[in-house]
Amino acid sequence: MPLLKRRSLLAGAAATLAAPAIIRPAWAADTVKIGCLFSSSGTMANLEGRLNYITQMAADEINASGGVLGRQIEVVTTNPNSDWPTYAQMGRQLLQEQKVAALFGCWTSVARKSVLPVVEQNDGLLFYPLHFEGDENSKNVVYLNSPPASSVLPAVDYLMSGDGVSAKRFFMLGTDYVWPRTINKILKGYWKSKGIPESAWQEQYVPFGFSNFQSMVNQIRSFASQGGGQPIVVLTVVGSSIADFLREYSNQGIQPTDLPVLGLDMVEADLEGLNTASLVGNLNCWAYLQNAPGPRNQKFLADWASYVQKSGAPYSPHVAIDPMVSTYDGVHIWANAAKKAGSFDVPEVRAAFAGLEFPDPSGYTLKMTAANNYVARGVFIGSINANQGFDVLWQSKGTPTPVPYSQYS
Amino acid sequence: MSGLLKFSGRDRAAGPVIGLLLLLLVLSPVLGLHAIPGLGLSIYGVNLVGQVMCFALLAMALDLMWGSAGVLSLGHGLFFAFGGYLSAMHLLKTAYAQTHVLPDFLQFMGQSAFPAFWWPFGSASLSVLAIILLPGLLAFIFGYVSFRSRVNGVYFSIITQALTYTAMLLMFRNETGFGGNNGMTGFNTIAGLPIGGMKAAVLLTMLSTAAVLVVLVGGRAMLATRFGRMLTAIRDDEARLRFLGYDTLWLKLAAWCLSAIIAAVAGALYVPQVGIINPTLLDPSLSIEVAVWVAVGGRGGLCGAVLGAVLVNTLKFWMSAAAPTVWPFVLALLVLLVVLVLPNGLMDLSNRSRAWIAELTKGDVPGAKTVRRLS
Amino acid sequence: MRFGLKAGAALAAALTCLVMGPVRAEAAPDRTAIVNEVCAQGGQGLPQAADQLLTELPSATPDDVSWANRVVGAFSHRQLLCSADGHGYIANGAAGLDAATLVPAKLPDDAAAPFLSLRARIVLERMEAALALVSPVAPERKLAALDTLQQHNDSVPMALVTMAIAQSHDADVTRALRRFGVLQGLHAPDTAQRVAAIRDLSQDTTSDTLGQLRSLRDDPSYASDPSVAAALDAGIAHVQLWVRVGNVLALLYNGLSAGSILFMSAIGLAVIFGLMGVINLAQGELIMIGAYTAYCVQQVVRAVAPAYISLYPILAIPLVFLVTAAIGIIIEATVIRHLYRRPLMTLLATWGISLLLINLVRVGFGPQNLKFITPSYLTGGVSVVGDFFVTWNHLAAIIFAVLAFLGTLALLRLTSLGLFIRGVTQNRDMAGCIGVSARTIDMLAFGFGAGLAGLAGLAVAPIYNVNPSMGTDFIIDSFMVVVLGGVGSLVGTAIAAFGIGLVNVGIEPFYGAVAAKVIALLLIIAIIQWRPEGLIAIKGRR
Repeated sequence: MPLLKRRSLLAGAAATLAAPAIIRPAWAADTVKIGCLFSSSGTMANLEGRLNYITQMAADEINASGGVLGRQIEVVTTNPNSDWPTYAQMGRQLLQEQKVAALFGCWTSVARKSVLPVVEQNDGLLFYPLHFEGDENSKNVVYLNSPPASSVLPAVDYLMSGDGVSAKRFFMLGTDYVWPRTINKILKGYWKSKGIPESAWQEQYVPFGFSNFQSMVNQIRSFASQGGGQPIVVLTVVGSSIADFLREYSNQGIQPTDLPVLGLDMVEADLEGLNTASLVGNLNCWAYLQNAPGPRNQKFLADWASYVQKSGAPYSPHVAIDPMVSTYDGVHIWANAAKKAGSFDVPEVRAAFAGLEFPDPSGYTLKMTAANNYVARGVFIGSINANQGFDVLWQSKGTPTPVPYSQYS
Repeated sequence: MSGLLKFSGRDRAAGPVIGLLLLLLVLSPVLGLHAIPGLGLSIYGVNLVGQVMCFALLAMALDLMWGSAGVLSLGHGLFFAFGGYLSAMHLLKTAYAQTHVLPDFLQFMGQSAFPAFWWPFGSASLSVLAIILLPGLLAFIFGYVSFRSRVNGVYFSIITQALTYTAMLLMFRNETGFGGNNGMTGFNTIAGLPIGGMKAAVLLTMLSTAAVLVVLVGGRAMLATRFGRMLTAIRDDEARLRFLGYDTLWLKLAAWCLSAIIAAVAGALYVPQVGIINPTLLDPSLSIEVAVWVAVGGRGGLCGAVLGAVLVNTLKFWMSAAAPTVWPFVLALLVLLVVLVLPNGLMDLSNRSRAWIAELTKGDVPGAKTVRRLS
Repeated sequence: MRFGLKAGAALAAALTCLVMGPVRAEAAPDRTAIVNEVCAQGGQGLPQAADQLLTELPSATPDDVSWANRVVGAFSHRQLLCSADGHGYIANGAAGLDAATLVPAKLPDDAAAPFLSLRARIVLERMEAALALVSPVAPERKLAALDTLQQHNDSVPMALVTMAIAQSHDADVTRALRRFGVLQGLHAPDTAQRVAAIRDLSQDTTSDTLGQLRSLRDDPSYASDPSVAAALDAGIAHVQLWVRVGNVLALLYNGLSAGSILFMSAIGLAVIFGLMGVINLAQGELIMIGAYTAYCVQQVVRAVAPAYISLYPILAIPLVFLVTAAIGIIIEATVIRHLYRRPLMTLLATWGISLLLINLVRVGFGPQNLKFITPSYLTGGVSVVGDFFVTWNHLAAIIFAVLAFLGTLALLRLTSLGLFIRGVTQNRDMAGCIGVSARTIDMLAFGFGAGLAGLAGLAVAPIYNVNPSMGTDFIIDSFMVVVLGGVGSLVGTAIAAFGIGLVNVGIEPFYGAVAAKVIALLLIIAIIQWRPEGLIAIKGRR
């Protein structure tokens, strides 16, 4: 963040200070409220903070074209401070006090799990923009991103194939919570089904916000040197730990051609400020990559850039990440469903999801069915390039049907 | 200045506080269940009152040690969370009895049933017993070892803080077996009432308010006895009391265990109201905040603790919704104000005359010479 | 890494053909066929094309080799473009060259660079290395190419090495090629050659080598020959020993580096809490401010003199110290001064200050992690022995901690300010009686402690996340270090920091990072119950 940006940063800070102005108890009859549960402080702030802005951007877009059912959308933001119980507290407040029509929120599965009972008790609707561990199917949550069967397994398959690196051994490094634990459990089940022996993998967990990966990378190096086939690292650490891991990884001189990393939560924003020259070739997988081809993506990127300029958001105008697009999709899906239902009532909106389609920036057309609240998305496997971004290495032909419950867990 | 340490001055606030609490006890069902048409609170509102009452209980637990015996614990979050976890275990067991779905943290750790040591938590009475006994036992062991090796004053505060922090790290691990980062959530019913509903909220709020009343009245009565005076003597000069032949170890230990149990009960009542427990309750900053509530309200006599907890938390609930970025500044300035200008919190305001306040604001820090071990 | 790729085997086979080239009839590389092969399926044909190129290289002229280099280089820099009809071009500015003939050609609109998959990268990396051996390039490049081939345990036929030796005019390169050639003898039919190869391989004492040697043991031809088996066992024993030594050294080094971070975060507190008895819960925030000051220095240097950006950490040392010391002095003069006789109130007051500082910084800089430019001399590292790898940033942190320790010790023991500080903390009234201004000394000592905390912020900036709430991660650890070491003893603080660092690092591989920290903290709590005065108890008034 160069000094020149200080001004915009301060403006951003001022905007956060002014944020309470948005939270007005009185609401006019010609508006409908939606609530955001994204932290603007704490370990998740750098990632989640952008989603507040993208929600507003999507709402502005809909408002400019006449709003929903004749009402303008009003976005109510909160700051749960990266503290999981606070997400539940704030969610309850938004639903009961602010009477929001829908919630958009949570990054980590921990946060979603803590909000889940709140939306279920109040029959609210939470749009959750992250890919996650699956094994959950609540009628009060719209899962905007992919469960592991349609995102993680294709990526691991790719690395295990001859087109990838014919991976034979796996080091799983994750943050200690439900998402990495479940993903790794599914992976182990998957490998077992392929006849890979248990000795071929190793599992380690670090706490949230962990930053000193020195001895962890040592362990990975000694795992890699044990022989027995091409090793890879399946990285499920989240938040700021990703950049810290990558820094130590390249500091210890490990090459992606020797020991590739599949960073399942790694997004473009994690690479900001890193020298990615020595990381070129490491992989991630998402339902959207900034380099996704197509005019819809170009338009989205341009819109975001101009929105950042306009709103003074303290984030890079040139970086777009999957959860941003997912949140953006979510707002549109909700608006379309409400239009279709002719009502903001949750049961009617939910009933309107079946058969809904939305052509989103990734280039795919998102689909929802009556079977569940999952959204069918495309899959991208990305490869880090020298410009802090990901090149599209592989993308799915269509949108695979999401499978909530994994057969391997 | 010795008047500062007397109880008489504080009694002036006790009456109104007890009266208000009684009123709250009556009003919460009336307003919550909408007995008077057109006049009522939302679930959220009733819930908030209940949570604040739990914090008041926690603050009193701390004040019992700090205000009376002069021992500042920065680890009361540990007992609060301990009680909370035990109550969450009971709630999960009851939820399981209804849904037969194992909590997800057990599932993804590869368990197919509750571990054996969970069995007592199926029963409400055994759970209550556990909530009282287990934190009490932990407090006893830790207190016995620390007080016996005469870990005192600042050192005790630091060690208790480190203990809480250690417990937090431990509970953050999924291998520890209590849900790690996620903690425990997905409670169904309490005493047959659906959690999150108005009836449960009213019940819990009434229980919490009643607990505050019991501890406030009972605690004040206890402090007025010989035991209470001995605690005050420990606070003022422990060495002298020891030389006089009193065994201060057991006195302190008794107060410490009682304090821990009150904190655990507060936690046990708190968790069903928020619907989730996770290790953030063990964050050292919560424990320090409790000390801030007590310092703001005024130490000693328990009334200040209740006032401080209610005031700071109400302010916090209001401001963290209305102006989340401003709240930490308000809290920080409040702390500095109390520490520098009102050494004994709001009680100073209510008990001291105008002249005293005038003297306070112009002179050097008052009480700096006389209030020695108290602080 | 094992060379476990199909393409790798193909490469080896191709290289074999390369040296056997002269036996075959004239077969100059069919450039067009190779390029078409590459471009056939949008770059998917690379491995086959690589095989073909290497098969046909033997009869290649130096001109062919330079063409091959050009094409391979273009591919890895994504300048090789394939048109939809499978023709290859090399981007040359706005214009283009035909990849097969290198004559200027108009780039078709649909020409796009084929994607560089991981597998393609690996093939290209090895291709470049193999080509470098027979290209007229600088000796360093050839050595690096050999390193690449050797590191990946690629088997290259002896004859290629001989050919490269014939071309080599540099003694170092020739020696390295000979050694490489010897290593290729691992699978040679000749016993002596194999034994020599094993001996040579054993000189490289890493666990990679160990794995390689162990895999040889499973080779049936090795079991049959006793002298080879003996050499193999001796080699394994030798490597194993050094790998173990390396592991112990790595443990010590990691412990030392973790300890030095702990020490840096505690040294300021050792002065403020240890000597002065002030419970400063805002110590972590002073560390945070130190890191933010370093960041500001970096930004200013970047704006004013971008050429000297790599020197900013050195420039930051005095500035960080002064800024945090000044903030410390302000805190002391406005708040702490009133509270010297009420330690528990200091605790609350400094907690309030820490809250204030965190949120001021949060409003000013935002909540996100700061991005630091790591100067080139602080990135990477060097392999020492076995798997022991010294990373420069951790080494710098260790050196920094040692210097801070010596400097503080010298200041307290050798200067009159140090004498006054010790005097005032030991007997305030008596020091006052002999004319030492206790007020001034308090202020300076607090400022000094704060400045040291600021330096800690500078030291941890390249290793930890720098954000407004980073300080809270340090505060408990640093108090534990000071209390464990013995309040008032700088040496005790150092011993405690190193000890805790070592215990942490020692436990981490077995039980994970969190359990390691939990065990270390419980250990400290237990030790303090046993020795409330800490490891090194100083007699004096507190």
